[in-house]
Amino acid sequence: MNAWVGYAALIGLFTVTAGIGFYGLRISRTTEDFYVASRTVRPWWNASAIGGEYLSAASFLGVAGLILISGSDALWFPIGYTAGYLMLLLFVAAPLRRSGAYTIPDFTEARLESVAARRVTSVLVVMVGWFYIVPQLHGAALTMSIATGLPSWVGSVAVAVVVCVTVVTGGMRSITFVQAFQFWLKFTAIALPIVFILIIMGNSGLSVPALAEPFAVDPAGLPAAGAYRDISLVVALLFGTLGLPHVLVRFYTNPDGPSARRTTLIVIGLLSVFYLFPTVYGVLGRAFTPDIATGGTPDALVLLLPGRLVPGLAGDVLTALVIAGAFAAFLSTTSGLVVSIAGVISQDVLGGRVRGFRVAAVFSTVVPLGVALLTESMQLAGSVGLVFAFTASTICPLLLLGIWWRGLTDAGAIAGMLAGAALCGGAIAAGRALGPLAGPFRELLAQPAAWTVPAAFTVMVGVSLLTRGRRPAGITRIMTRLHAPERPLSAPNR
Amino acid sequence: MTHEDPAGSGQHPPTPPRRIRVTAPIVRARRAPGQPVAREIAEQSEVGQVYVRSLIRSQLRLAVVVAVGFLLILLAFPLLIAYVPGLEQAEFLGVPFSWLALGVGVYPIILLSAWLHVRAAARNEARYLDLVNDA
Repeated sequence: MNAWVGYAALIGLFTVTAGIGFYGLRISRTTEDFYVASRTVRPWWNASAIGGEYLSAASFLGVAGLILISGSDALWFPIGYTAGYLMLLLFVAAPLRRSGAYTIPDFTEARLESVAARRVTSVLVVMVGWFYIVPQLHGAALTMSIATGLPSWVGSVAVAVVVCVTVVTGGMRSITFVQAFQFWLKFTAIALPIVFILIIMGNSGLSVPALAEPFAVDPAGLPAAGAYRDISLVVALLFGTLGLPHVLVRFYTNPDGPSARRTTLIVIGLLSVFYLFPTVYGVLGRAFTPDIATGGTPDALVLLLPGRLVPGLAGDVLTALVIAGAFAAFLSTTSGLVVSIAGVISQDVLGGRVRGFRVAAVFSTVVPLGVALLTESMQLAGSVGLVFAFTASTICPLLLLGIWWRGLTDAGAIAGMLAGAALCGGAIAAGRALGPLAGPFRELLAQPAAWTVPAAFTVMVGVSLLTRGRRPAGITRIMTRLHAPERPLSAPNR
Repeated sequence: MTHEDPAGSGQHPPTPPRRIRVTAPIVRARRAPGQPVAREIAEQSEVGQVYVRSLIRSQLRLAVVVAVGFLLILLAFPLLIAYVPGLEQAEFLGVPFSWLALGVGVYPIILLSAWLHVRAAARNEARYLDLVNDA
């Protein structure tokens, strides 16, 4: 690949992102601007921003790569990513907005009236955020080395630096504009090459190789995943989405409960259209470039396919576009995560001031950067799937039971979250350490959500029932606040 | 919260709000303007509490029904492909049915479920507001 194509794409993207960030700085003035963009963001803007933040390295690169190597089993990934928002809409969106809290730990404290439960939630939120940033930085490393030929660490560091600068200067207000812009950039970047390739195929400038079997089970010789793996993955994605800190913090930027629901509906529409494209990349990759699967970097399929199939200058321009789109994915997801982690750290440790937020933002970027530089990349979609499993086993039960069940106590919540974290984290670590030695338990350890999520719920409910005396005194008031609708304004002053 | 928020009023669009210094950690956010009346009625009276409980129950029932319905449909896809003879080999424009079902067909169902839920949830809330306003 031409290195200048990569440089042009990166310089263009970084310039525009920084420009929007600085524009946001000029209108970002109050503390509420910093944390939640003053709750004045309209549903379409907000939905684009949520989409921009959510579509990470795993969605932009990982899904297509996984379809390339494992076929129709990988189609469950985009289904889970999208249906996760359905669960969020059904169980969390409006009540969480009405809770009036800024972060998940704030919600925990308000609902359970317990500082200890708040601390446990904070630690988990920070862990989830860091686990999620690491694969983004790995994706950046991969893309940078393919795009420019520079050493791969340059990609991770570049993303970390740009995120730090944007977040520190603009806070959430500017992030909202940046994210919304990056959603539409990602969408264009993934859709336009497919349109070109299909046009070329339609003009029969490109014929499918006679031997290609794009829909066969396993061109790379991998065994098909079993039913357990598919079910467990879907459980993780469905219930993990509603606990992701960077997704939840976005819901506080809606003005009220109904607009939180409308925003979620739009997000589901945007995601449904977006995820058609990685699937098409996967299928085209299986037809035309199966060598990418065997070459060891299937995650690079989206980056390489346009250049392989579209000749000449058009191919170079499209390649530059997908590189920019991929970096937009790393940047937007990482900055969303950094904003939410920094919000938690600054409120819990540094006193909630803007300066504390800035210090926390730098800290929240540097730690995962260190981890990313010291570890080897694995399949992007797979490692993100494990983060979803961890979230589904810890924060999801807290939110679901906290919102819908009066009986949840602080002791129950803490016990359930710790049990879920220990089981899920332990299973993933054990699966890694044992490898093939785990024998019959290998599948259970490789994607543990199907049994750790019910286990966390069981512990949370059980301990809450044993500690009935600890139910918060104001539970009636709290439940009313979560569920009673805002009175519609009769005066036209909105 | 211990500060006034000049940005919230939005009365003077030409002059940007002045920068403010924040002096306390924020745990509770500002409520959306003009809403709390219905809540206060509900919080203070026993009748109001009955209304709130029935609202929560109906919203939970709605959410569970939609979720279970969606999951059953989702489960039906692989079962159909596995057990209906001929479906495994069925093709449309050269694309196998299983790929079309999972790669394209699931998404309209997700959207439809979401849309139905948004409508029904808003209806539950409107009914609750009617009750509270009559009380």
